[in-house]
Amino acid sequence: MTRGRLVRITVPVVVAALVAALPFVVTDRFLLKIFTYAGLNAIVVIGLSFLFGYGGQVSLGHAAFCGLGAYTCANLTATLHLPWLVALAVAGAIAAVGGLLLALPSLRLKGHYLAMATLGFGELMNLAFVEAVPLTHGVDGFTRIPPPSIGSLVLKSPAQLYWLVWAVAGVALLLAANMVSLRPGRAMRAMHGSELGAMACGVDLVGVKVRAFVVSATMAGLSGALYASAIGFVSPKLFSVTISVGFLAMAVIGGSNSLVGPVLAAIALTLVQYLDALVPGISREAAQIVQAWEPDVYGLLIVVVVLFAPGGIGALWRRKRAGEAS
Amino acid sequence: MTWLSTGSRASHGSRSSDIVRLGELTVVVSEFLQFTVAGLKSGAIYSLVALGFTIVFAATGAINFAQGEFFMLGGMIGVWLVNLGLPLPFAVVLAVVLTACIGAAFEFLAVRRIGDGDPLRIIMVTIGGSVLFRQAALHVFGPDEVPLAPFTRGSSIMVLGAAIERQTLWIWAITLVAVAALFVLYRKTAFGKAMRATALRREAARLVGIDTSLMVTVSFALAAALGALAGLVVAPLTQTAFDVGAGIGVKGFAAAILGGLGNPVAAVGGGLVLGFLESMTAGYINPLYKDAVALVVLLGVLFVKPEGLFGGTGREKV
Amino acid sequence: MSSLLAVRGVTKRFGGLTAVDNVSFDVFEGTVKALIGPNGAGKSTLFNTLTGFEPPDSGSVIFDGSEIVARKPRDVVRSGLARTFQNTQLFDGMSALENVMVGAQAHQPRGFAGSALRLPSLISEDRVAAEEAARLLRLIGIERWADVPAGDLPSGIRRLLEIARALATAPRMLLLDEPAAGLNAAETSELVHTMRRIRDGGITVLIVEHDMGLVMEVSDEIVVIDRGRKIAEGPPRMIQRDPAVIAAYLGEVADDE
Repeated sequence: MTRGRLVRITVPVVVAALVAALPFVVTDRFLLKIFTYAGLNAIVVIGLSFLFGYGGQVSLGHAAFCGLGAYTCANLTATLHLPWLVALAVAGAIAAVGGLLLALPSLRLKGHYLAMATLGFGELMNLAFVEAVPLTHGVDGFTRIPPPSIGSLVLKSPAQLYWLVWAVAGVALLLAANMVSLRPGRAMRAMHGSELGAMACGVDLVGVKVRAFVVSATMAGLSGALYASAIGFVSPKLFSVTISVGFLAMAVIGGSNSLVGPVLAAIALTLVQYLDALVPGISREAAQIVQAWEPDVYGLLIVVVVLFAPGGIGALWRRKRAGEAS
Repeated sequence: MTWLSTGSRASHGSRSSDIVRLGELTVVVSEFLQFTVAGLKSGAIYSLVALGFTIVFAATGAINFAQGEFFMLGGMIGVWLVNLGLPLPFAVVLAVVLTACIGAAFEFLAVRRIGDGDPLRIIMVTIGGSVLFRQAALHVFGPDEVPLAPFTRGSSIMVLGAAIERQTLWIWAITLVAVAALFVLYRKTAFGKAMRATALRREAARLVGIDTSLMVTVSFALAAALGALAGLVVAPLTQTAFDVGAGIGVKGFAAAILGGLGNPVAAVGGGLVLGFLESMTAGYINPLYKDAVALVVLLGVLFVKPEGLFGGTGREKV
Repeated sequence: MSSLLAVRGVTKRFGGLTAVDNVSFDVFEGTVKALIGPNGAGKSTLFNTLTGFEPPDSGSVIFDGSEIVARKPRDVVRSGLARTFQNTQLFDGMSALENVMVGAQAHQPRGFAGSALRLPSLISEDRVAAEEAARLLRLIGIERWADVPAGDLPSGIRRLLEIARALATAPRMLLLDEPAAGLNAAETSELVHTMRRIRDGGITVLIVEHDMGLVMEVSDEIVVIDRGRKIAEGPPRMIQRDPAVIAAYLGEVADDE
């Protein structure tokens, strides 16, 4: 086994072990919940960076897919009392179908119409979440959503929920990494590099873009369903366009052509939101200032990364690994 | 509508029922006119914002996600200038100029830095920029809604039973002047021709000696000016706040592609049609659906007729 | 010898300008045909109409017995007709090897589900594509650039890489748009060898080129286009002496290298 291959296998295993071991080190319920939030965001961002970082497609409505997944799961478990795994699968399927319906017409067109179409979709879904009270309980939010259960095992403790979320994140990362390193990833990077050149190589531009979009929408839907079950409460505010822009910011900052970078960005930007809980020394006022200026930082980071470091964190990571290998 | 209550429907003989029917007809007509007025009022605003999208798109091939924020900035800066003591006309003009400068500065500092002019990166930069503009407005002006005084005082004007507010007349007048000015600029001046050349074939334009970078900067300045103008002229009717940008941006863009992106005349047409559709929906179907109309139109046009009603630049399918 | 590519009455207008005016010619299987003409004569536009990038206003293009005029570029490639671009359209962020691999994927299905699950069939298909890509880089003579990002390659190598990538799509016919542009004398003669090897491998070639030396050396037949119209067609010797061709080029002769 070559040294490179050894590294490529042991590093993820070690990281996975560290992630799994966290609840033994961090026992505070609230802190564990924060890391669970980070995992939920990471799942969305893995899908989004697959679509955007590799395929160059902008989506400003991914939070809407989270919402679709969340409300589907909530209705199926709380109202219809279906098994959780069934609800999860259906939630993912509904998000996938939604993604397909949105992507097919938008991606037929040349140019970046998808960006505006997803923005419109995001706004429309947000309106729908607010107005469809029988299904979503409107602005009051959907409460008392049952926790996840696999068979007879109910996952209720913070540690169990953390493990569930990060297990799903791990699977999502694995699937995305596989696609990226093989044919689909190459087709997407080709498309991103030159659409004319990709066409001249027989790449099915629309087919690839639509599939990438559906994959990312499904991941967002699954994350939403997980959120609903793990946290137990969802409301339309969680699925606004602002949240979508936040996801996109994580993908941008994490860097294009990278999955690890966006995951790190998702974790970092989630933790920043709870700075006062994480760093004991920070005063409430300081934390409030950070929170008030958080969107500014997002916006600034997007601009700075796009202009000066399109590779984002991912590129820094790759440069570091290249430096170590030589 | 109260005088159409059942009391007056009592059959007092054929002549009275004729009068009643004529009265009903008048009400229906004046109601329709009222909705049309409202529709053309918002339609004019959407036209201005849609023109802003079209101008930037023609010059760069990218969608400027900060267009809605230019609308917001115009109104907010105008209110701030009035509060500083400037007379309203000066405040309005200065606010438009300042927003145009902000637009140009944004292009110079951010958009121009994107060396290859890749529309995707331009879109991302404008998304980031829109967040920054919105946050800046929040930090500087605060979160509250602020009012702007109407440009002229006075009661509404009655036309065939429909009430037209004076500010609405200002909206129409200013929109007409702006569209006419743009027409003159683009068709009659050398500068305007240079801008059109840049939009059509950038490399060819550069070869002929046109400063294409300058054209792009001017496009952003114009788009910002149009957005600001729209924001200022409607603020007396709807008030303005730091977060109105996103909503108007989506509606303006929906108007632009409804007409057909890339075509300025189509943008105006799209704006008016969208305003009309919104108003009819609110009046005859359900006021709650008003905001959804633009979104449905946006998705509907993309799905059904991407070239828009009046056909934009070749919206080719892949 | 059969006509592999039959161009019949192809016309393309841009507004008031007729870029391609009722052009007809044949390319016979196993030959190298050159398309020459003064600058701006409409040659690249013609290429675009032949390969599905720009539908012509009228005319037909029959490749290997089937009408391909209405097909999208992707389907044209899958029919066995590959092309390069005057402005190379490489994938700058990917290595030379990866660029060629994309070409090698032309006939394979998208493979999203299979690759997500790392099915053995997909892994082996990828390995085959990598081997084929490496072989083609060796054939063209640029294998030492295999792991260099395409964006970092010198312009001459970029053109050769695009040819390798087009070959990876396993075409029966190759359309080369000014492959010698930016090549020095040594690289140009290397290109001539490569083109002969391509033709000997059974691939028909249609090439747009300005370098007359290359054209004379490598083509079996030449078709001359001036201002969108065909003005001459025939073997190189005949074209050299054709008065209409000489007249069309009178202003261009001084510019030729």
